[in-house]
Amino acid sequence: MGVIGYGLGVVGAGIGIGLAALGATSSIARQPEVQGRLFTVFILASAFVEALALIGFVVTLIAQ
Amino acid sequence: MNPLEKLHEEIDGLVDSFTSQAIVGDIWGVGLTQYTFWMFVAIALLLIVLFVFVKKQAAHGLVPRGRFVNGVEFLVEYCRDDLCKGLLGDTWRNHFPFIASIFFFILANNIVGIIPGCKPGTGCIGTAGALALVSFVYFIVIGVRSQGLIGYIKSLAPEGVAFPMNAVVWLIEVFSTFLRLITLAVRLFCNLFAGHVVMGAFALLCSLFFEPILQGITPIAIGEAGASLFWLAILLVIYGVEIMVAAIQAYVFTLLSAVYIQIAEQGE
Repeated sequence: MGVIGYGLGVVGAGIGIGLAALGATSSIARQPEVQGRLFTVFILASAFVEALALIGFVVTLIAQ
Repeated sequence: MNPLEKLHEEIDGLVDSFTSQAIVGDIWGVGLTQYTFWMFVAIALLLIVLFVFVKKQAAHGLVPRGRFVNGVEFLVEYCRDDLCKGLLGDTWRNHFPFIASIFFFILANNIVGIIPGCKPGTGCIGTAGALALVSFVYFIVIGVRSQGLIGYIKSLAPEGVAFPMNAVVWLIEVFSTFLRLITLAVRLFCNLFAGHVVMGAFALLCSLFFEPILQGITPIAIGEAGASLFWLAILLVIYGVEIMVAAIQAYVFTLLSAVYIQIAEQGE
């Protein structure tokens, strides 16, 4: 059951990182010169989203 | 016998081998787990690289020559320009030593962990937690030093909010400040730990599916050996991803530390 719960939690994080990547790629396509600064912002945003998925991972391990 | 049935027991053994075990001394007292051992190896390698760099640099004057010197200098300059100057602004010079040492420590640990047979020093919650604690204490001290103790506590709540909401926002901000400590540690630890468990699982699959062909060549065994090659291909892809993760996690940890320092220093 824990694995199923983790899978459900990851759906949200997956959508979040996907949205961040979508925003980053479409803005780079429009304005290639901001690529360097956008990369930092993109990594930062995905790090915050990813933390939620990883907390789910830890909870799965603890709950077993 | 289906190799997938054996996988379940093997995975348990794999996860056991990834939990901290003392190789010298006692795990609850003074001792050395396999993770701390590889952490010391990573520190030694990092020191060797940096001292060789300084020596080679001094031999040629200040102009960098050769692939090695240029490579190290690229990393240092990347850390200085992207992480320090880009985020911290005018005071980058004060924080550059701290940020660079965290970056290089994590990077060395992660890269040592990528080598098959080695363990990443940052892949246990102890090391990752200690690093996060260092970063946490550092940005709080910076905040207190630049704004005063009361100023820093006040600066957690945004200005221009009426009284009752003010207190609620302040509480949430205090909570999220302590959450930073947990997320920094858990992010680093989990990325390394989970990545290595996944790599280990595919390596196990690869070897389990290759076993039948060693005991006798039958059509089923040949089919399973073919599947083993497929697992090997996936393993190689994941290995490539893990190399990227090693660099990105060092970058993310340092980047977040720099962001927190900047927030603490300049107020919100």
